[in-house]
Amino acid sequence: MIVTPVWYMMLAAALFVIGAGGLLLRRNALIMFMSIELMLNAVNLTFVAAARQLGDINGQVSVFFVMVVAAAEVVVGLAIMVAVFRRRASASIDELAELRG
Amino acid sequence: MTNALYIGIGPIIAVTLGVVVLLMVEVTLHPATRVWRLISFGSLISGFILAIVQWADAANNPQPIFSHMLMHDGFSAFGSIVLIIVAALGLLVAWPLVENDRARGAELVALVLLTTIGLMLLVSAANLMMVFLGLEVASISLYVIAGFIRKGARSNEAAVKYFLLGSFASAVFLYGVALVYAGTGTLEITAIAGPQFAGLTQTPVLLVGIGLIVVGLGFKVSAAPFHMWAPDVYQGSASGVTGFMNAGAKIAGFAALARILVVSFDAQRGDWGPALAVVAALSMVVGTVLAITQTDLKRMLAYSSVAHAGFIMTALVGGGAGIDALWFYVVTYAFQVVGAFGVVAAISGVASDESALKQYVGLGRRSPFLAGVLSLMMLAMAGIPLTAGFAGKFGVFRAALEAGYTWLVVLALVASAVGLYFYLRVIVRVYIDQETAEQPRVVITDGMRFALTTVAVLTVAFGVNPAPLLTVVSNALPF
Repeated sequence: MIVTPVWYMMLAAALFVIGAGGLLLRRNALIMFMSIELMLNAVNLTFVAAARQLGDINGQVSVFFVMVVAAAEVVVGLAIMVAVFRRRASASIDELAELRG
Repeated sequence: MTNALYIGIGPIIAVTLGVVVLLMVEVTLHPATRVWRLISFGSLISGFILAIVQWADAANNPQPIFSHMLMHDGFSAFGSIVLIIVAALGLLVAWPLVENDRARGAELVALVLLTTIGLMLLVSAANLMMVFLGLEVASISLYVIAGFIRKGARSNEAAVKYFLLGSFASAVFLYGVALVYAGTGTLEITAIAGPQFAGLTQTPVLLVGIGLIVVGLGFKVSAAPFHMWAPDVYQGSASGVTGFMNAGAKIAGFAALARILVVSFDAQRGDWGPALAVVAALSMVVGTVLAITQTDLKRMLAYSSVAHAGFIMTALVGGGAGIDALWFYVVTYAFQVVGAFGVVAAISGVASDESALKQYVGLGRRSPFLAGVLSLMMLAMAGIPLTAGFAGKFGVFRAALEAGYTWLVVLALVASAVGLYFYLRVIVRVYIDQETAEQPRVVITDGMRFALTTVAVLTVAFGVNPAPLLTVVSNALPF
């Protein structure tokens, strides 16, 4: 049995769905954040697998861009969460429910 | 790197220099706020001039630049011009917020300029990876702007919600990009529609990719059903910057959506056209219905911006023929948003996270100027003739009719009629209702007065005589 890049794309699709599910179902801001990272890494896997399949370098280069952007997102996201945590001492998203209607 | 044509990124360089100089000067010298103003508006004005030069140059030789990463064409130049104007007006309105916070004010100015850079990259991108980078530069700056009032519980909440849902949308968009890459083997917007990929155009992977790209950008422009974050974020953010946040994201989000769908995926219009029509219809219905029940003007404007996202999307269902109508609508609407939120900032304070409608009772007597601007913006958003809103609605409805979407236009007309109710309700509060208690006097800064006068004049001018702007946008097409 030969493992082709298509297998990796299917694995990536599964990871992406797991990440999206985690974001929508979990209630802890940090876990939701980790789910987003999982989604981004699923995208990276798709890029690499597609680049391998196509014999094209652009997909592999894209991965570096995505990693850098993800790192920048982590910095800002954690800073926002720290600002909230200082006020509430809780990372649960359910308590952030002042704005509604 | 091939074809490094620097005028194509002139506006971006000018604003980037502004950010760098501003932050360096602030860290080393702690100058007066006057210096912040000098640097930020200096960079915006030079960016504006360079964007005009770019516009003139691109009219003669539009071309992909920097190894097909960016596009030098009328579409990019016009987008940059509009974004810089909106950023300048937004900064004028937000300036009291900047000056009140001596320690962090420069950061807010830098973040607004950084957002503008990201949005300009978004409208100029010729490569899907550049679209993603522009989107993220703008979005990450916007998350921080939303949470700028660090001590405000609502501002914090707005930032967390914006961050989590915005990052989710970015990831969805990026997965769409990856699937398009897997389906076609290229990330270049112009190459995707090229003949070498003609055989691949109907593969399921590509169609899923297009769908995810539409969903991701739909989030950013707050189209229903991806609008859940918009009311919370636009209410919780400081009133002074909300107008810029909303207007900038709409302009660049729709520009990117238009370029990607029309240039790359014109062959699949039969697939994405109906999907876009459904999203547009949902946005109009959801935005209008939920706006009716609001008692807070900021929240009402947020829901109305969802409805307007639907109206703007109506221009795109027919593909490239509607791009000029989309530009006209999105530009005039951006001015209306900046104007309306500018009045909110003047009445409730630039740092406020709410603006109850009852604060506006009797505004016609307390401040005829603000009352007049607010009423004009409401009439324009409702689409009353002789305001820019009417000409804009006319254009997008015609584009949809020509594409054969009669049901969508009928629905849009009904939504506009229902929308009149909540826009006129604001005007009734302002001019007709009687004050029950003494309201505080309204004071506004010269910068705010200038910004509000500008948007009011433009809204009337483009409404009375839309021809000049229509001529300009008919040349602002993607290469």
